[in-house]
Amino acid sequence: MDLTTSLKICGSGLAAQRAKLDIVTSNLANVNTTRTPEGGPYRKKTIALAAETVADNFDSTIKEAVRSVKIDEVKEDANSIKMVYDPSHPDADAKGYVAMPNINIMAEMADMITASRAYEACVTAFDSTKNMTLKTLEMGR
Amino acid sequence: MNNMAISNSQIVSVASPREGQKKTGSASGFSDVLFNAVKEVNNLHRTADKAIQNVQAGNTGGLHEAIIALEKADVSFRTMLTVRNKLIEAYQEIMRMQV
Repeated sequence: MDLTTSLKICGSGLAAQRAKLDIVTSNLANVNTTRTPEGGPYRKKTIALAAETVADNFDSTIKEAVRSVKIDEVKEDANSIKMVYDPSHPDADAKGYVAMPNINIMAEMADMITASRAYEACVTAFDSTKNMTLKTLEMGR
Repeated sequence: MNNMAISNSQIVSVASPREGQKKTGSASGFSDVLFNAVKEVNNLHRTADKAIQNVQAGNTGGLHEAIIALEKADVSFRTMLTVRNKLIEAYQEIMRMQV
């Protein structure tokens, strides 16, 4: 596997983790949002990452095996609403209940830490690949 | 990197003392190989330059791509340096041979 393929996979990993972090940030920021352009409260979004094959023409053994990451889809969880009793809220319905997004802050923070650590792991992998390549250049010195 | 790998072996085979007679004959071929290698490194540097300009223009989403392009250019440049050092070493080895 040559350097280009390895770096491409690293790059896709970094982009995917950054996208995941963006989604988590969006969820955290909108934890109390009751009005959205689509109507109704903000719905929790989740991201699905898919693996796709890389066109690697260097090593045919690994060619079929390695995968880069692709952002497959961002799904909205339509059922993530909880009804909170708050008659003084401007969006309260006839019975005094407000539809709030059912976002668990602790779960989102855990997702954020996971994405952040995965990003750092990708950067470490990139560093290791580069160090290996530079060490190769030192052979026979 | 693939191109560099191919040109590296070609250069070494041309410069080895055993094929000294072929040297003048394939001198133009060797300079072509060298020229292509340098052009490839230059292209990588230009790609990195463009990627950095893209980030500076405000698209900070492409930051990791700019860094990756920079590192690719850096590695290819170091490869070229190493090849140059080996070439000079081989040349000096030949010049040291007693007539």
